[in-house]
Parts: sequence; structure tokens; C-alpha cells
Amino acid sequence: MSPDDKTDDQSSIADLIHEEDEDLTGFQWDDGLVLVVFWVLAFVVFLQFFTRYVLNDSLGWTEEIARFLLVTVTFLGVVMAVRRESQIAVELAFRWLSRPARKALQYFIDLVSIGFYGVMGYLCSQVAVRTQQKMVSIDFPKSSIYWFICACFAAMTLYALINFWRHVRTGSSRLIDPETAKAVGPSL
Amino acid sequence: MLLTLLFVLVFALIALGVPVAIALAGPSLVFILIDGHVPGLVVAHRMINGVDSFPLLAVPFFILAGNLMNSSGITERIFDFAKALIGWLPGGLGHVNIGASVIFAGMSGAAVADAGGLGAIEIKAMRDAKYDPGFAVGITAASSTIGPIIPPSLPIVIYGVVAGASIGQLFAAGLVPGLLMAAALMVMVAYYAHRYNYPRDQAFRFGVLGRAFMRAFLSLMTPVIIVGGILTGAFTPTEAAIAACVWALFLGLIVYRTLTLRRFLKVSMDTIETTAVVLFIVAAASIFAWILTSNRVPEHFAAALLTVSENPIIILLLINLILLVVGCFMETVAAITILVPVLLPIAIHVGIDPVHFGVILVLNLMIGLLTPPVGMVLYVLSRVAKVPFERCVSATAPFLIPLFAVLLLVTFFPVFTMWLPTLIYR
Repeated sequence: MSPDDKTDDQSSIADLIHEEDEDLTGFQWDDGLVLVVFWVLAFVVFLQFFTRYVLNDSLGWTEEIARFLLVTVTFLGVVMAVRRESQIAVELAFRWLSRPARKALQYFIDLVSIGFYGVMGYLCSQVAVRTQQKMVSIDFPKSSIYWFICACFAAMTLYALINFWRHVRTGSSRLIDPETAKAVGPSL
Repeated sequence: MLLTLLFVLVFALIALGVPVAIALAGPSLVFILIDGHVPGLVVAHRMINGVDSFPLLAVPFFILAGNLMNSSGITERIFDFAKALIGWLPGGLGHVNIGASVIFAGMSGAAVADAGGLGAIEIKAMRDAKYDPGFAVGITAASSTIGPIIPPSLPIVIYGVVAGASIGQLFAAGLVPGLLMAAALMVMVAYYAHRYNYPRDQAFRFGVLGRAFMRAFLSLMTPVIIVGGILTGAFTPTEAAIAACVWALFLGLIVYRTLTLRRFLKVSMDTIETTAVVLFIVAAASIFAWILTSNRVPEHFAAALLTVSENPIIILLLINLILLVVGCFMETVAAITILVPVLLPIAIHVGIDPVHFGVILVLNLMIGLLTPPVGMVLYVLSRVAKVPFERCVSATAPFLIPLFAVLLLVTFFPVFTMWLPTLIYR
């Protein structure tokens, strides 16, 4: 192999790796909300760091707001993960089952998920109704946070229903036919 | 009875492929509703409070920092530097693989980020140099587990939150074991190189090293900022994470100019998704762990285990065994959130420091990432390297030997973990 081939080849790996870096399929415009909340969170944490470090006097409200934004990012992010079917799961059983069994198992998982999100949404609304506190650092009722999370669970239920409907209609999914879909999803 | 049913249901749902978070929280919810001692809305409340934690803020920003490094070309520069530094040894790229993972470990906290980003570059380079693909996958998989041992580390942050231990001390405790892992793996590579007569890939040249160092210098400052900042006490873990993000953004946007708008969006969305999915498991597992503690399961379990023996060595061996088995079957974050409330009291009872225990726990779970059935790192590498999963398993198996050796050293000689934190903090 001449040295020229090698550089050619290496730039093509870089291209290949970076092609995936720019692939935004599966995300859509309403993910903009969680994107904005995430960068506001980054800014608040940076602000806390900056005020403690440079101004030697950290802003008291940043901690509580940061925690609140982290909760928001988490639940909004899960809505996205439900839509994209990218939650962490052990997909080993699917490797050994026949296609009809995989199909049945996919429907079972869908139904369990729908039920769980639905009940959690209802429970969050119950928590929200009973919460009268306000946040410590700003004049903002804590119940709004619970209402917001309740809405997140409602959105998860909705997306899980849509996914279920799609699985039933097409008779296929990433888990039923792994070859037809690219593996997605993060993990530690 | 009801508790046994809860356990069976949780593990059955996980095994069937229900998302881990739902498999943990769903049966717990049913348990609370049937049990009837507390109202069901406690579940919602617990779940939200499970994420409402200041130290957990380090999670998204360490993920963001790692993703930014991978997509702004920092990872490639570090690989080139490691190649110029140790690529001249026999079996060179194997050593380079480990060296690059050590440097990358100082910037990223997740084994899978190491395997998916740096690992792709490493495996490709080793294949081009005609190394056996099995050897390439094995060493890449094994070296990626150094990432969560050397600070920063996501599993360590989550352990610190659950155990209420100092994350700064835990980070300091991981440094020496991480370097031990690297040394043990390098011995293994040297053995392979000797046995199979691997060639030297290149000669050592000061000029090449100098140039690679200059090109990588600013990238190499990232681990210096993070690890140095945490160890000197200048930064809290969350601050180190945000500082690393600012530095990576500075490199990607201004110095290297590799971070396009699309890449920036992709990195942000990936980070959000990983954060959300991981913290959702933390939230869900906190309900399950709460049921365990409120039903005194840890006490019963401790009593049962302590009847076997009161000898710390035997208890530690048993704990390691439990951790290894659970690590093979369970996802890391879930395993930490569930096992810590159960196992930590026993460890403390036989005189093990929570900081020492944290490193033992994470090391065990990292080995679990390399073993079937739930070896997440193996899945990622099998996809990246296009090597069948079964082949990845058998190729990685020999590299478990040096990791087990380190695990035993770290377990039975607390000096490896406790020396640095004691020096700095106590």
C-alpha cells in the first residue's frame, strides 16, 4: 500500500465517522424546546461557575433553577426518546425468538409502556393538585413543575400509542426486523 | 411474598426487553398500589425527586464534553499523539489503543463513549495495519473500561449521589486503579506481541512525537483541566464538567473550526437523549430502591450474608461475585441505584470505606460491560467494527484476565484507592 492510499483511506474514515456526526434524522422541530431548555441549563450552570469563580460570590438562585431545569430536560428528553424508541432496554430476547414471537413481544412491550406512562401522568396530576409550596428562590408555584411533568407523561403516552399503532399497521418495528433499521440509542 | 413477586417481575420484564426504566418503576408502582401502605402518588413524587439533585448536574455536561471531543476532532489528535509516543513498541497499536484510552478517560466518563468514538478510530487503524480483528476488538473493548475508572466518570457520579459519598474523593480514588488497569492490559499486549511476533509498526522519532504533541497540545489540555481541576480542589465535579464543555466549544468553534452548526445540533440532541434516558433510569430505580429500603430488605440481606461469614475477605469476595453476576445481566446505572442501598451497609459493617467500595463497584460493573448477555460495549463494538457479537465475546475474553487481576488488587489492597484521596482530602 503506498502512503497516498493510506492518507486517502484515513480521510475516508474521518468522513464516515463525521457523516454520522451530522445525521439528524429522527429529530424534528418540536425537539427545539428541549434543545433550548438544555442550553439555558448549560448557561445557568456556567453562570454559577463563573460567579463563584470570577466574582467570588455565587448567585443563590442558580442552584435551585439548575435542578429544576435538569428535571425539565430529563422528562422532555424522555418524551423524545419514547418517540424515537431509543430507551435503554435489554434486547437480547429478540435475538433468539421467531418472528411471530418477536411481534407478540413488541406489542406486549408497547402496551406495558402505554399503561405505565398513562398511570404516571395521572399520578403526577395528583401530586400537582396537592402541592401548595412555592420555589425557594423565585416566586413560582412548585405545582406548575408537576403539571409540566404530567404533560410530559401525557406526551409520552401519546407517542407510545402512535408507535404502537404504527407497529400494528406495518407489522414491523426495529425490534421485530432489526436488519431494516439502524440501531439507535444511547447508554453508559 | 409480594416482595419476591416484585423481584421476579422486575427481572422478567428487563429480560423480555421492556425499557429498563419501566421494568423498574412499573412493578414498583403495582407493588405500592397493592400493598396499600402509601398512596400511589408517592411513586410520582419519588421519581421526580430522584432526579432533583445538584450533583447529578455533572451528568449532562460530562456527556456533552465527551460528545464535543469526539465530533470536533480532539479524539483523532489524541490518538495520533499516543501513536507517536508508544507506537514503536512491538504490538504498537495495541499499546497505542490503551494509551489513547487513558488520555480520553481523563475527558470522558462513559465506557460506551470511548468505545463508540475513539474505539472506531482505533479498530480501523489496527485493521489497516493488518492486525487480527479479534485482537483489535478485544483490546479496544477492554481499554474502554478504563474511561469510567479514571476521573471524570458518570457511574462514579451516580454512585456518589446514591451513596452520599464525596464525588471529589471518589474521583481521586479512581486514578491509581485506572492506571493499574492500563499497565495490566499493556502487559497482556506485550505477551501477545511476544507470542505471535507482532511487528513494530514504526520507528520512534522525536520529530514525529514533537509534531504530534504540538498538534494535540490544546486537546491534551482537556484532561489536565478536568483531572487537575478536580484533584486540586479548584473545581467541583459539576464545575469541571462545564469548564470542559466551554474548553471543547472553544477548541471546536474557534481553534480547530471543525464544529459546524449541524454537528453542534447533533451533539446537543445526542447529549439530551443520553442524559434523559440515563436519568430516567436513575429516577425509576430510586422508587425500586425506596421499596427495598422501606421493607428492610438490605437489613435482611446483610444479616443473611453475615451469617455466612464475618470475615471481611470472604464478604468482599461474595460482594464481588454478586456485583459481577448482576453486572453481566443489568444495565450499569440501574445496577448502581439498586445495589448500593443493599450492599453498602454490609461493606461499611466489615470496615470498608464507602470511597473504596465505590471503585470496587464500578470496576465490577465495567467488567460486566464486557461479558454477555448485556455487554453494552460489545454491542457497540460489534456494530462499529462489523464483527459478529459472538466473535466479540470470545475475542474480549482473554483481556478479562488482567482486569480481574486489577480487581483483586484493588479489592484487597485499599492503598491503591485510598492513597490519593487521603493525601488530598483527609
